[in-house]
Amino acid sequence: MIEHAGHLPGFECEALRWRRASYSAWGESVEIALPELEAPQAKDLCETVRGNARARLKRMPTARVVDAIDAAIARLLDREHPLRRKAEHILPIVTGYDRETVRLGLTSYLKTFRRPQLLRFLAEDFANPAVLDSFQPAAKGGFLSAHGPGLLLHVWAGNVPALSLWSLICGLLVKAGSIGKLASAEPLTAGWFASLITEIDPEIGQCLAIVWWKGGDEAGEAPFLQAADTVMAYGNNTTLAALRAKLPITTRFLPHGHKIGFGMIAREALDSRKAPALARLAAHDVARYEQQGCYSPQMLFVERGGRVSPAEFARHLAQELAAIAHRHPRRELSAAESSSVAAWRGAQEMRAMGGAAELLGEPTDPWSVVHVERPEDLSPTGLNRTVKLVAVESLDEVPALVAPYRSFLQTAGIAASPTRLFQLSESLGDIGVTRIAPLGRMTAPEAGWHHDGRFSLLDLVTLTEIEQSAEAASEGFAPYVD
Amino acid sequence: MKFRDRVILVTGASRGIGAAIAKAFAAEGGLVVVNYRTNAEAAETVAAQCRALGGEALPIAADVTSAEAVTAMAEQIGQEIGRLDVVVNNAFAPYRFDPDNRTRFWETPWESYGQQFEGAVKAAYTVSRAMLPLLQRRSGASIVNVASDLVTRPSIPYHDYTTAKAALVGFSRNLAVELGPLGIRVNCVAPGLVYPTDASAATKEEVREMLIAQTPLRRIATPADIAGPVLFLASDWSGFVTGQTLHVDGGLVMA
Amino acid sequence: MLTQAGIIEALLAFIALPDATEAEFEAMALKLFAWQFRNNEPYKRFALQRGRTPLTVKRWRDIPAVPITAFKDLTLSCTPPEDATHVFMTSGTTQGVRGHSYHPTLDVWKRSMLTNFRKRFMRGRERIRMGILFPDETALPNSSLAHYLGLARRECGTPDSQVFIGANGLDLDRLLPVLAEAETSGEPYALLGASYSFVPLMDALEQQGRRFILPEGSLILDTGGFKGQSRELTPDEFYDGLEAAFGVPRASCINMYGMTELSSQFYDDGNAVSQPVKSGPHWVRSRVVDPLTGIDLPEGRRGVLVHHDLAHFNSVSAILTEDAGEIVPGGFKLFGRVDGEASKGCSVAVAEFLAAARG
Repeated sequence: MIEHAGHLPGFECEALRWRRASYSAWGESVEIALPELEAPQAKDLCETVRGNARARLKRMPTARVVDAIDAAIARLLDREHPLRRKAEHILPIVTGYDRETVRLGLTSYLKTFRRPQLLRFLAEDFANPAVLDSFQPAAKGGFLSAHGPGLLLHVWAGNVPALSLWSLICGLLVKAGSIGKLASAEPLTAGWFASLITEIDPEIGQCLAIVWWKGGDEAGEAPFLQAADTVMAYGNNTTLAALRAKLPITTRFLPHGHKIGFGMIAREALDSRKAPALARLAAHDVARYEQQGCYSPQMLFVERGGRVSPAEFARHLAQELAAIAHRHPRRELSAAESSSVAAWRGAQEMRAMGGAAELLGEPTDPWSVVHVERPEDLSPTGLNRTVKLVAVESLDEVPALVAPYRSFLQTAGIAASPTRLFQLSESLGDIGVTRIAPLGRMTAPEAGWHHDGRFSLLDLVTLTEIEQSAEAASEGFAPYVD
Repeated sequence: MKFRDRVILVTGASRGIGAAIAKAFAAEGGLVVVNYRTNAEAAETVAAQCRALGGEALPIAADVTSAEAVTAMAEQIGQEIGRLDVVVNNAFAPYRFDPDNRTRFWETPWESYGQQFEGAVKAAYTVSRAMLPLLQRRSGASIVNVASDLVTRPSIPYHDYTTAKAALVGFSRNLAVELGPLGIRVNCVAPGLVYPTDASAATKEEVREMLIAQTPLRRIATPADIAGPVLFLASDWSGFVTGQTLHVDGGLVMA
Repeated sequence: MLTQAGIIEALLAFIALPDATEAEFEAMALKLFAWQFRNNEPYKRFALQRGRTPLTVKRWRDIPAVPITAFKDLTLSCTPPEDATHVFMTSGTTQGVRGHSYHPTLDVWKRSMLTNFRKRFMRGRERIRMGILFPDETALPNSSLAHYLGLARRECGTPDSQVFIGANGLDLDRLLPVLAEAETSGEPYALLGASYSFVPLMDALEQQGRRFILPEGSLILDTGGFKGQSRELTPDEFYDGLEAAFGVPRASCINMYGMTELSSQFYDDGNAVSQPVKSGPHWVRSRVVDPLTGIDLPEGRRGVLVHHDLAHFNSVSAILTEDAGEIVPGGFKLFGRVDGEASKGCSVAVAEFLAAARG
């Protein structure tokens, strides 16, 4: 089976060069054809999308865009819809995540893009979302309107299913002409979504393109990088730095670098009844997407003094990970991924020999838990269900342990009483943590969340202000002036 | 070789059912810690048989009702082997199964109950607690406690013995609930009358015939019969079984 | 109970054997494991953690292999490290921590080196005139390679063999006349050194437009790769370059694969084709395992190399390397280092984090 990726309005399939890539997992394989555009084609595409967006999308009421997204998402949520069925079948093969993880993950993610959530999303960033459609009175006087970029380029990375929809939808909501560059590790969902939008509201579909070029292929990427007004990019800091260096100085660059998540568990949450349940939630966060998400926890800080000690909690966590592995088997790891896990385990094992750490799980287990009794700085693990549990006397010590890694911080999962939740959040906010989630929800951000602490929509737009005095002055030129 | 690279502690393994269980594990490639109380020579013989069967064995003397002795045994296992996958609590207080001369209820002093509790529940308690840190180091650990089918069907009312074994079943179920979330399974094997063993030597032929007549499989258990179900409950073949009591009595009790 | 003297004696006898069967190797390996388990405390803890002890281990393949990084973090020695007559250290790494190998005596190390070197490099020849492109052991007392080359020169080199690397690096002014003389003498000549030492030499010759055709029977031995000390060449570039510069056919260019954390070396039988089969002597066995599970991989599957070197008696005989390899008939193939991978998603992985931490 060959699946054609991308979405290229105005291009015939035959006019394009396709690069074949094959993926296999869970005993099946799939071949995907990725579009490679010649420079003139790329330039044309950029102009088409920009022109279409100016002529059509920008003149539409936001409500129409919301309706189209809502309808597309409804189809993707419908388990009988052919595209949804295809997604459930192919995404596990392409990304390696097990079927259940993909199915549950898709549903819980997609449902954050229904109409009510989209409206909330708009309200989150705009006191009056109508500024996206026309000039609205501003509080300070005068009038305001908001304009998305003429051409917004998305550069996606990573294999988390459907992650691309987040920024794609942001772009549509601000009525930007959007071109998305697929991640080779998940090159499908964005194109499917674009084709659904086209089917539902062809005019919007004309303002949207999904493309691909080989990472680092300067000739392939140049036309897009030159044409975009705004670039929203995902990837590691090296990739992002390289990308930024290639952009014209006037291009707005919105990078989302790799992050490391961590959890904090307070002693009041560690009684005989609650602790095992929490371990289950923490294990869920670790296992979901194999810690590939920016929000995925790699380290857990566990407070001493509860009924259940950090050492015991580590055992509960280990057993929950073992239990989850039955339901959601770990992705088959590449040789390099195995080596990462092995290197991390090896290092922990060395420390365990000195008595400084305790390593739970055998090398053949699809998970590892390391437990240390001395406070230590935040650090990444080997990923793919490897987690370090650090015992601390008080959770108040944690901000200092994570503060040095400010640029990598994003999500913290906290289990603590309301008073302490706010106290801790206060200090975490100070050092750069942008999202506090409960355990069990770390990998499922709420609708309208502020990704990396930024205004997802507001960051995309420019405002046009009609100053009060300009309005007043215009009165002088009115035909009805006395 | 189901138990290659696995380490199994069998308490009271110098003779009878314990020895049979130890040898069965060894035949599946296991390293068996042959625990015994006093009879070093018998334990050494069992160990030698284990090795001959393709396994490995380490005899360790320890009175399983003594916390101190059991802690020392755990320490020795930790130092010489470094891991423990299975504990079989088989040892029990000396008892004579003699239906003709058994003590009746009004003749049974409370001390006899106490002694049987020590032998069944305290032993299992002491060993399980001491071995817990070792068992937790590995995934898929299992505890198997040897109870009795008399708990469900007291064909002959050995009051003190059977009551203690009933307590052991209750103990095991609670432990199963507590240790399940930690990845350790706890189950019981409940044999019927096992013959020949030292304890059952005094059981008369006539009684055995009576039991045989009522047993669907028409015979009495041998020590080797008990080993199979113990191995099953110790292996990952029973990976989703905990808190259960498996009757091994030819169908005499069906529960 | 074994003593160190007993172990040494048994090992020297073992090395002296013409070959060893699987059973003979296994018996010696298990004996040695028991010795190391008893006398090397950190190794004992490692083995206990793995649940592999003399009581549980019945096959040499089950002897737990220590990750090579352990030599950086731990003192792996059966005798007190201060009693070591020689301490070999790895060359500095990016983290700046060096792995240590302690030797209470070099007797076994030397016997292992010489026996195997004679067989695999000298191939029946008594002596050969050598040019060494590596500092000697007075300059680098903690370098196992310096000792290796020193021993080769003393025991297998002719008296006029020389070291051409001194305090100021490669001594071209001395070397070139010697090579020219060797070229005309008709007597075979051997150049031995670190792989990266050959690169500037080849560059210098090319710059001067000079080439040598060393007499038939001449040999080259390189080892260790480039380690960032010279520019990186592919195997074909490197051996073609050697053949062009010195007139030594690629089949006579032998690569030695060794490491500070072992007491024996591996050789190929020339590099006529790249990625030739490498093998060790009968007191060493190699395995290829899945890096994560440690389970042996079948012939032809790529994994990580594990070496069981009986000659490394005072430390740990079983080493999990960071080298990718593949078991093939007659030995193994070596494919360079195994590297970890960045996250497939958007979580930070170790490499990126470390890079950021280093600034």
